[in-house]
Amino acid sequence: MELYENMRCEPVGMLALREPVALPITATVKDAIQAMREKKLGCAIIVDENRIPLGMFTESELTRLLSEESLVWDEPVTRYLTRDWPAVTITDPISAVLDALETKNIRFLIVVDDQGKVVGLTGQKGLMEYVAEHFLQQVSVQRIGGNPYPVEREGA
Amino acid sequence: MNSKPISSPCDEFQDPLKNYDPKVYCDPLMKALAEEKVTSVQYRPVAAISPQTTIREAVQALSKLKVACLLIEEAGRLVGVFSDRDVLDKVALEYDTLRERPVSEVMTRDPVCVFDSDSSAAALSVMAVCGFRHVPVIDVKHQVVGIVSPQRVTEFLRKQLVK
Repeated sequence: MELYENMRCEPVGMLALREPVALPITATVKDAIQAMREKKLGCAIIVDENRIPLGMFTESELTRLLSEESLVWDEPVTRYLTRDWPAVTITDPISAVLDALETKNIRFLIVVDDQGKVVGLTGQKGLMEYVAEHFLQQVSVQRIGGNPYPVEREGA
Repeated sequence: MNSKPISSPCDEFQDPLKNYDPKVYCDPLMKALAEEKVTSVQYRPVAAISPQTTIREAVQALSKLKVACLLIEEAGRLVGVFSDRDVLDKVALEYDTLRERPVSEVMTRDPVCVFDSDSSAAALSVMAVCGFRHVPVIDVKHQVVGIVSPQRVTEFLRKQLVK
């Protein structure tokens, strides 16, 4: 099978899922930013004691708050959360990721198990890597110099 | 006596492209990505600022324009990009001390670009391999003619999937 069918049939678990920044509701804005920097991720998921996601804090929200100069570092990050962030289950088809990213206009997607617990993070980058694997010649050109897929992004 | 004719250099030349057939894609999604030019997924006009713009102004521009990436251009040439990720990594916690500094101090220099004649798959491979979410598109004169974002790629992919 090729890309068209693969995206409809293969489960989200086939994507290279990232370990998310998962923080408790007591975390401050500063905690979230430091954790996002350490893990080189553009978002933090706030979870309850059962690892059920309560909401997401993203780098784009950070930019918006900085531009408004309304950010207080020691405040709980829950004040700035986007709640009810979309999620997919690990057994959903990969096309569900594409649908969610495009229709909700988001960069990151929470991956949960059948009990709704956070098990990973995917998003635009994971999807791009998955599609790019179907174009090995193009990928090889970009890899001249021995670049593997970067765990951390290097810029924009 | 050896009667073998002496071959001329022209006879020995073998055209390396003689048996070249471009790859044929049966998969509609792969065909679209391989055959459609990057210009079909780029968007324009691009949001651009100068390297002397302050970090505060750049952050405000990202927010006001609702974009995740600004191009930094000097005398018509692309010298860097400034994105939400640069805000997170280099600016956020240091904002009070950096806000009036020029954005050139924190921008990502020399971003990887694709040419407007490249395929959509080439732009996507840059995103995957180099880790850049936004890929500027340039012409032969190295002038920026657009930018490819993951949103545009996902929109493109989804259109092909629901056809």
